[in-house]
Amino acid sequence: MSIYVALTVASLKMYFRNWQGIFWSLFFPAVIMVIFGFINFGGFNAPDVGVVDQSQTPISTRLTVLLDFFVSDEALDLTVGTEEDLTKLLENGDLDVIFIIPEGFAETDAKSVVSVRADIRKPQEKAVALAVLNASLNRLLEEIEETPPEFILSNRFGISESSVEVDEEEFSDFLVPGIAAMAIMQAGIFGVVFSLVRFRAQGVLRRLFATPIGANHFLVGQVITRLTIALMQAYILLIAGAIILDVSVGGSAAAWLSLSVLALLGGALFISLGLVISGWAKTEDTAAPVSNIIALPMMFMSGIFFPTDVLPNALQNFVQFLPLTYLADGMREAALDGSSLLELGPELLGLGIWTVALFALATRVFKWE
Amino acid sequence: MSSRLAADGNSADVIQVDNLVKRYDELVAVNGISFEVHRGEIFGILGPNGAGKTTSVEILEGMRVADSGMALVNGIDVRRHPRAVKSIIGVQLQSVQFFDQLKLHELVNLFGALYSQKVDARELLARVDLTEKQDAMYKTLSGGQKQRLSVAVALVNDPVVLFLDEPTTGLDPQARRHMWELISSIRDSGATIVLTTHYMEEAEELCDRVAIMDAGEIVRLGSPAELVEELLATGFSKDREVRPADLEDVFIHHTGHALREDS
Repeated sequence: MSIYVALTVASLKMYFRNWQGIFWSLFFPAVIMVIFGFINFGGFNAPDVGVVDQSQTPISTRLTVLLDFFVSDEALDLTVGTEEDLTKLLENGDLDVIFIIPEGFAETDAKSVVSVRADIRKPQEKAVALAVLNASLNRLLEEIEETPPEFILSNRFGISESSVEVDEEEFSDFLVPGIAAMAIMQAGIFGVVFSLVRFRAQGVLRRLFATPIGANHFLVGQVITRLTIALMQAYILLIAGAIILDVSVGGSAAAWLSLSVLALLGGALFISLGLVISGWAKTEDTAAPVSNIIALPMMFMSGIFFPTDVLPNALQNFVQFLPLTYLADGMREAALDGSSLLELGPELLGLGIWTVALFALATRVFKWE
Repeated sequence: MSSRLAADGNSADVIQVDNLVKRYDELVAVNGISFEVHRGEIFGILGPNGAGKTTSVEILEGMRVADSGMALVNGIDVRRHPRAVKSIIGVQLQSVQFFDQLKLHELVNLFGALYSQKVDARELLARVDLTEKQDAMYKTLSGGQKQRLSVAVALVNDPVVLFLDEPTTGLDPQARRHMWELISSIRDSGATIVLTTHYMEEAEELCDRVAIMDAGEIVRLGSPAELVEELLATGFSKDREVRPADLEDVFIHHTGHALREDS
């Protein structure tokens, strides 16, 4: 027992004496978080448009077809449904704009008004959608009256706009827990790989091998040290995100408990992965590329910077089983929805299986020299 | 240190090696060596680079497994109980660094803990002349100081045998002489020491008996004086006149015998 304590205390001391290392391990994820948080990638999305046809006449059906035509011209998707359904989608943030074609549309000479409801936070999407609506109404008027539309459009058709408050996650809400997960991965893999490869190159590990301790004594000390770091890092990044980007993180004690458990389990997972890599990679020259080959695809496919549902279906089926996907999904649920440990069952199970498998592999491939 | 040796010094030979063989692929690093090391002596293994000195010693230290043959350290079979052997020996390895972000007294205490021993770091560091450096980080030490620290660390478990693998390679003449004094003082306190070297004057100065290795085999074994007599008896004579002083004597004379602060 005292051997575990001595090795753990020694490696913690070494870590906290290395101020540069601490700085960079926090600086890099923090910079990514701030840059991406302020760019707000959410603003660049093409609008999702819905249409409600309350008239159900040939003319209104024709308008829907035209809308569909112009919308797909803009590479957008058009959802058709009832007012109730589409309003719900709008409020969830699944749609950005809906058009409502009123009853008796274009049946009399009176002006027919199409209602437009848009997500209040998305003026750009709304502008695109209004342009599509105008183009569609122009074409419709040409078809039914064969009159130059620019003189008459405003007499026959009107557009009424309204905005809807939407209870959807901001992009920065999405981003912050994911970045914390990514930082845990980086610290786990790169922290372990580089310190072990260095210890091996210096012969420190060979010297330890000359003492009566076993590999597990040394590995446990490493894991505990790195776990402490992973937990601190996760807290610092989540709190920084909460302050700088105004993300409401983990409202309750249960949420923070979930976050801590996830950070520890995820930390153990990626530390084990780092140990496996450093067991295989003989020198720093191979350790760095191998670590990157494993970490980079996960960084971009595990839903850190964008949701995994934008990926092709075949890829989605694969990435849902990646370690970082489990960790990022779990931390996002815990941070934003305040999910308890029970609700995070699937994520915890996924992380647990990966951790056990990788640690078992790590003790097998570990080499002292 | 002397206490343990006196206590279980029932067998005259603290190390017994019988027909040890170690191959790396095609290369035969150690080719059937046999010898004994007596309690309380300094036993030297001499030989050019690549002779198999380090491999032989690492087998005795439980760090490598021999392909065949037998090695006993204090009566314990190294192959079967490597960790039991490791816990009673002290080792200094070639070209090994320590954790560079730790202070010297922390390193000594850490290694003590690895042997489940409480150690007096101050006393051990004083013994290797590193008292002023006990609060310094390892990375600030000079080559000679690092080498002395590795001796201090090798002594944390009050070892039955101390293995020193080329303890003075890469040191300047002052630091080398300082290390020799240290090794002699450790032997005088009663320890058995096995050291490898490729410096003949080091073997002559320190060793009670030496084994000369070449290409994985022991070609001669005996005390330095015996080996010289043996050679002279064959009618050998140096073709050059031996001068009463050499360049190293000049160097030491002019730069001083005392250890430099940075050596």
